[in-house]
Amino acid sequence: MKETTKEQRIRARMQPGAITLTGFIGKDKRSLGSIINADEQELNKLGRNAEEIAARMQYFSDASFNTFDGSITLDENYLVETEITRGRIPCPYADGGQHRKAITKLTNLKKNKSVSWTALNIHLIKEHHFFEGKGSTFRVEPSVLVEVLFD
Amino acid sequence: MDISAFILFWAAIFTSNILLTNFLGMCSYLSVSKEIESSFGLGISVMFVLTITTGLNWLVYNFLLVPFGIVYLQFIVFIIVIAAFVQLLELILERYAPALYYTLGIFLPLITVNCAIFGVSLFMVIRNYNFIQSIAFGAGSGIGWMLAILMLAAIRRKLKEKLVPAGLQGVGISLIVTGIMALAFVGFSGIVQVQ
Amino acid sequence: MFSIVLKDVGILSAIALVLSVIMVIAQRWLSNYGECKIDINGKREVTVTGGNSLLSSLTEKQIFLPSACGGRGSCGACKCKVVSGGGPLLPTEKPFLSKEELLAGDIRLSCQVKVKSDVKIELPASIFNIRKYHATISEIVDYTYDIKGLTFSFDEGETVDFLAGQYVQLNTEPYEKVKERVSRAYSISSKPEINNALQLIIRYVPEGICTTWVHRHLKVGDKVTLTGPYGDFYLRDTDADIIFVAGGSGKAPIKSILEHLMEVGTNRKMTYFFGARTPKDLYLTEEFKAMEQIFPDFKYEPVLSAATPEDNWQGKTGFVMPYFPQAIRDPKNTEAYLCGSPGMINAVTKALMENGIPKDKIYYDSFG
Ligand SMILES: Cc1cc2nc3c(=O)[nH]c(=O)nc-3n(C[C@H](O)[C@H](O)[C@H](O)COP(=O)(O)OP(=O)(O)OC[C@H]3O[C@@H](n4cnc5c(N)ncnc54)[C@H](O)[C@@H]3O)c2cc1C
Ligand code: FES
Ligand SMILES: [Zn+2]
Repeated sequence: MKETTKEQRIRARMQPGAITLTGFIGKDKRSLGSIINADEQELNKLGRNAEEIAARMQYFSDASFNTFDGSITLDENYLVETEITRGRIPCPYADGGQHRKAITKLTNLKKNKSVSWTALNIHLIKEHHFFEGKGSTFRVEPSVLVEVLFD
Repeated sequence: MDISAFILFWAAIFTSNILLTNFLGMCSYLSVSKEIESSFGLGISVMFVLTITTGLNWLVYNFLLVPFGIVYLQFIVFIIVIAAFVQLLELILERYAPALYYTLGIFLPLITVNCAIFGVSLFMVIRNYNFIQSIAFGAGSGIGWMLAILMLAAIRRKLKEKLVPAGLQGVGISLIVTGIMALAFVGFSGIVQVQ
Repeated sequence: MFSIVLKDVGILSAIALVLSVIMVIAQRWLSNYGECKIDINGKREVTVTGGNSLLSSLTEKQIFLPSACGGRGSCGACKCKVVSGGGPLLPTEKPFLSKEELLAGDIRLSCQVKVKSDVKIELPASIFNIRKYHATISEIVDYTYDIKGLTFSFDEGETVDFLAGQYVQLNTEPYEKVKERVSRAYSISSKPEINNALQLIIRYVPEGICTTWVHRHLKVGDKVTLTGPYGDFYLRDTDADIIFVAGGSGKAPIKSILEHLMEVGTNRKMTYFFGARTPKDLYLTEEFKAMEQIFPDFKYEPVLSAATPEDNWQGKTGFVMPYFPQAIRDPKNTEAYLCGSPGMINAVTKALMENGIPKDKIYYDSFG
């Protein structure tokens, strides 16, 4: 699908070296719209939606964020570790959002599986339903998220 | 062609809508119609640029190309005139209406390659319009184009909440909607005929 | 035949030429804003060539507003009060302004505002002390597996005047795929008494634009630029007892403060808690331990939260908060200087206040 100028400008900001070192697209050749659609459909199949996922991610990040060394065990089943660097980075959609440079690692102890995401990932999923392109360093797979985030 | 400029104006909007009967200017129509605000911005720009460039191209055609016998170069010349005018407009807007410039700014370069603009200039030549008719036809086509893109944007907004089969999402369903809109507009065509 | 082609080409060229001339004239006339005056706080006036952004016009006059995105309208750091002459608020600015700022209507992004007429702006006085420094890297040391200390020596004649605890912005140069310049904040770790060089302590952040450049590309002898000093985190000149708390790369500003105190001498009672996870996160330990002999009343306390038995760690463990009561003599007469992650700052501030230290005597860099 062809992209609008607005999408092209967003895509430009998602290139390696524009806002972040490795960018948000990876090796993905699809348009932004198709990437988002595909992930939404996958979520549909899994019976979840982006808002729900983002809220759950936020819950874990917030909990560990408020601790002294960024790590906490929640509900006996989840180990959350957040590493925060001072400073903020903007959202590539240029909506004025500034996000912490924080990486959260969540381990589901029962399933013995873990997944990592950044504060910007949460925003991108919540507001833009964007999980990043295939091959992007910070892409989070919807299926992995669903598996680790929920019991 | 002796058809009153007034009638031509209305005809260009409804009975021979440049987009829905000639299918010109499709590219930006499909890609920008995702949002109503952007559609409105682009619509206004197209309308303005269309009206003026049709007038300019009429002057260039009748006072330069015909007397010098280089009518066969009209394609190149029309394009140059449109491109130059859009550039000029960008400069003027940046200076005197910065807020408008930032809203339209991204659409202006897009207009240079909008085939509706070029198409209207060519129709004006083929159909032998006089100056007043050309301006009326240009303005009408511009408004018609804007009407069409606004309608599609509004429909697409509604469509967002509807379940569209996966393969038809985006351009697919837009083209179908456009087809139905075109059918509806054909209903007007008995009123006046300008083709 | 040939002459016809020539004639046609000639006419076509003439048309193109006329249009270009119109364009050039229009550009000259429409984009020429002449000389514009920028009035700053009603006290100082600078004259610039109109048509450029307020941010770059000010930079040209050696007035440096903060900026992290290099003027591309994506960081919002360059906010500034424009009293008059800024033109209408642009759609590119709106997302960055808070409700209050939108209401006030005079806070703008200086990188988006174009200077097209005389402009009146207001800036905090501390901005005028901010300079751009040209420096050569004279030393790089590895403090831990992911923390480096870099010394930047200024070009001849350039000197910096800062308060111990403040930070500077390091400007990157394009490298590999990174075509743009970015600026990142780093606390100064050297003492203010050295004014022709700076030391920064920089921790590697995975996939970070600036830190990858610093850790993987910079070498001794490379030239870079820095702007500063910024920040309201600095040592207050009182006699109160002090508690320092730092984590990770947060050692930098406290190192500066302590080295400064060593220079000027002090009798204040001071305790420095450094929170880390494992022994391999510790650095400069001997240097700070040695200060215990130099100051009359100083203690350096590294506290590890995730030391394993194999680490064989003899010192304090857990979080730093439980150790505060031992370090506090008179809470009302104690200041605290904190530097670290926001989570750490929240937890520590809460504990300090529970121990009776007044909120307004707890200092940390507010943004981060
Ligand atoms: C006042 C102040 C003082 C400071 N002092 C120091 C100091 O003394 N020492 C020090 O080491 N640092 C200090 N910092 C931090 C420093 O300014 C930088 O923020 C830090 O070095 C990281 O910069 P960077 O360019 O390497 O990372 P950036 O490139 O800006 O950010 C990298 C991070 O962005 C996120 N990210 C990147 N790409 C993506 C993606 N595709 N999707 C989702 N998320 C993504 C990840 O979280 C990643 O870790 C200070 C900051 C402030 C505000
Ligand atoms: S400098 Fe980043 S928004 Fe202005
Ligand atoms: Zn966003």
